[in-house]
Amino acid sequence: MKITIEHLTKDFGSMIAVNDFNAVIESGELIALLGPSGCGKSTMLNMISGILPSTTGKIYFDEDDVTEVTPEKRGVGLVFQNYALYPHMTVLENIAFPLEIKKVKKAEREAKAKEMAKLVHVDMLLDRKPKQLSGGQQQRVAIARALIKNPRVLLLDEPLSNLDARLRIEMREEIRRIQQETQVTTIFVTHDQEEAMSISDHIVLMKDGFLQQVARPQELYDEPANCFVADFLGNPPINKTFGVVSNGKIVLDGGCEVELEAAKNLPEGKKVTLSMRAEAIVVDEDLVNAEGTVVETYVMGKEVLAYVELGDYKVRAYIPAEKSFGKGQKVTVGLKKRGVFVFDAETGERLA
Amino acid sequence: MSKALKEITLGRVFIYLFLIAGAVIMIFPFYWMITGAFKSYVEIGQYPPLWWPTTFNFDNFVIAFEMAPFLTYFRNSVVAMVGSVSLCAFTTILASFAFSKLNFPGKHVIFGLLLGLMMIPFEMIIITNFRTIIDIKIYNTIFALIIPFTSSIFYTYILKGFFDSIPDSLYQAARVDGCSNWKYLWRVMVPIARPSLVTIILLNAIASWNSFMWPMLAVVERDLRTLPFGLYAFVSEGGAETQLMMAASTIIVVPMIILFLFARKQIVNGVARGGLKG
Ligand SMILES: Nc1ncnc2c1ncn2[C@@H]1O[C@H](COP(=O)(O)OP(=O)(O)O)[C@@H](O)[C@H]1O
Ligand SMILES: [Mg+2]
Repeated sequence: MKITIEHLTKDFGSMIAVNDFNAVIESGELIALLGPSGCGKSTMLNMISGILPSTTGKIYFDEDDVTEVTPEKRGVGLVFQNYALYPHMTVLENIAFPLEIKKVKKAEREAKAKEMAKLVHVDMLLDRKPKQLSGGQQQRVAIARALIKNPRVLLLDEPLSNLDARLRIEMREEIRRIQQETQVTTIFVTHDQEEAMSISDHIVLMKDGFLQQVARPQELYDEPANCFVADFLGNPPINKTFGVVSNGKIVLDGGCEVELEAAKNLPEGKKVTLSMRAEAIVVDEDLVNAEGTVVETYVMGKEVLAYVELGDYKVRAYIPAEKSFGKGQKVTVGLKKRGVFVFDAETGERLA
Repeated sequence: MSKALKEITLGRVFIYLFLIAGAVIMIFPFYWMITGAFKSYVEIGQYPPLWWPTTFNFDNFVIAFEMAPFLTYFRNSVVAMVGSVSLCAFTTILASFAFSKLNFPGKHVIFGLLLGLMMIPFEMIIITNFRTIIDIKIYNTIFALIIPFTSSIFYTYILKGFFDSIPDSLYQAARVDGCSNWKYLWRVMVPIARPSLVTIILLNAIASWNSFMWPMLAVVERDLRTLPFGLYAFVSEGGAETQLMMAASTIIVVPMIILFLFARKQIVNGVARGGLKG
């Protein structure tokens, strides 16, 4: 089912948690709702589920306006960060509970619950209570409970954040598998960029309640719409430098001149942010855009991480292990097309 | 074996001696009452005191039952207790849920005011309650023993504390599944809060069973007396003999002791689980 969000806003009075949000989520996709802690992801999700009324704006499920529809009529399945399993019920009862509320006959709902348990691989734990389960198992039970009523949308609020690192990777693959088996439109909230990248069809990136960009993971990485998106994604973090456009070049603070094809079209004197991914920088090769000084190198095995001084900035670059540079050595620096971005220094908008 | 022996230190010996002494002091009156109930008139007056009745006969109980309608008293006590405790549990559950999970204007102010009322001692409310039961024409009926005790701010406060500790995400999860407040309360909150609830009900039952002053004021008819008031009347009207008093007292206390023995674990759990935390 397709979800359309139009001008959605949530004003808590003390703050606006979601601000004029517009997005379209295609049917059958797994969407990661990504952003730093406190940016309004949970608020967003709770408005989609109907737990939280929106201040203004509209939410459509396919063509139906569900903005004023109560949660139980929206047909959403919700998985909470702490799983919210009922502690006094067994796994089977927990999974079957949504059907119990719908007054489905006991035999029928237990059969369905067992089927769901099988889907998420907890079918051997049916008689246990939640506190006798590990975090990963509780999480599977919570997903099974969310899926049992055949929801039109599955909403997951940071479902992996309580798990240890290895289980987290395992479980995110599980979630992907379950989502592809059931083909349910899924919104997966996370603050972990790597999690979002690895699991989703599209990423919706937000900050301080504002939508930043909706794109496929690779596209988000390669073509960030603004400075925040470029900063938020990538490990190590993107190299960020500031400068001014002058004679078709970018002059970084500290005087380093960077020749850039893209800078030729920018107005003279414009203050810009030049952001470069580490893997987009080459040192001492045919491609030459600027000159810098090697200040430090770290041997990483297959390659060397070098810090190169460009004006006032030290940028990270990877160089092949067979090349060696001494500290203080002058080098040429080349910038590949891919992974180098120019943003407006004031607004953060992408210029090139 | 040797490990267990090693752990018997002097400190432990003292702790246990102390606990045993405490237990003896607590248990002795009950012991004296129950054995006394089986002694004869001569035995109970003996000096030095007789620790154990020479024969166990139930004559005292039979005589006590003949002298006063203890069965009727017993029935009244049970009706008053079951009525007030179950109604009180019901209102307490509803009020705790409302104050803990629902949002309505003035919630905190109202709850604060109610808590403030807890500072007024029961003795002060007696007069107004008395007027009320006369006004609503239930004076000298069994309802006079039930209606004034169908709500409790104190128990509401305790249960609300427990309800507060149940995460809201459970409530939201249930709502997304279409669970009504009513169903959520009874299917999720109440089962989770069972230890607290059982404690509240038992404490309330004991209080109701032992209550004396109010039943004495609220009913005059002999057939409406509860056990404690009945016992008092039995002693003061009949000038009863000690062994008969012991028998009558035993009749009153034994049901509570049995109840306590069955529910002991629940009571201790409920209190230890922080049932009293705010
Ligand atoms: N009920 C509320 N009342 C007031 N402010 C709230 C409420 N819920 C959340 N907020 C605020 O809204 C912002 C977004 O919260 P949230 O959606 O939980 O962020 P996220 O899930 O992205 O970490 C936070 O700054 C939070 O403090
Ligand atoms: Mg959150």
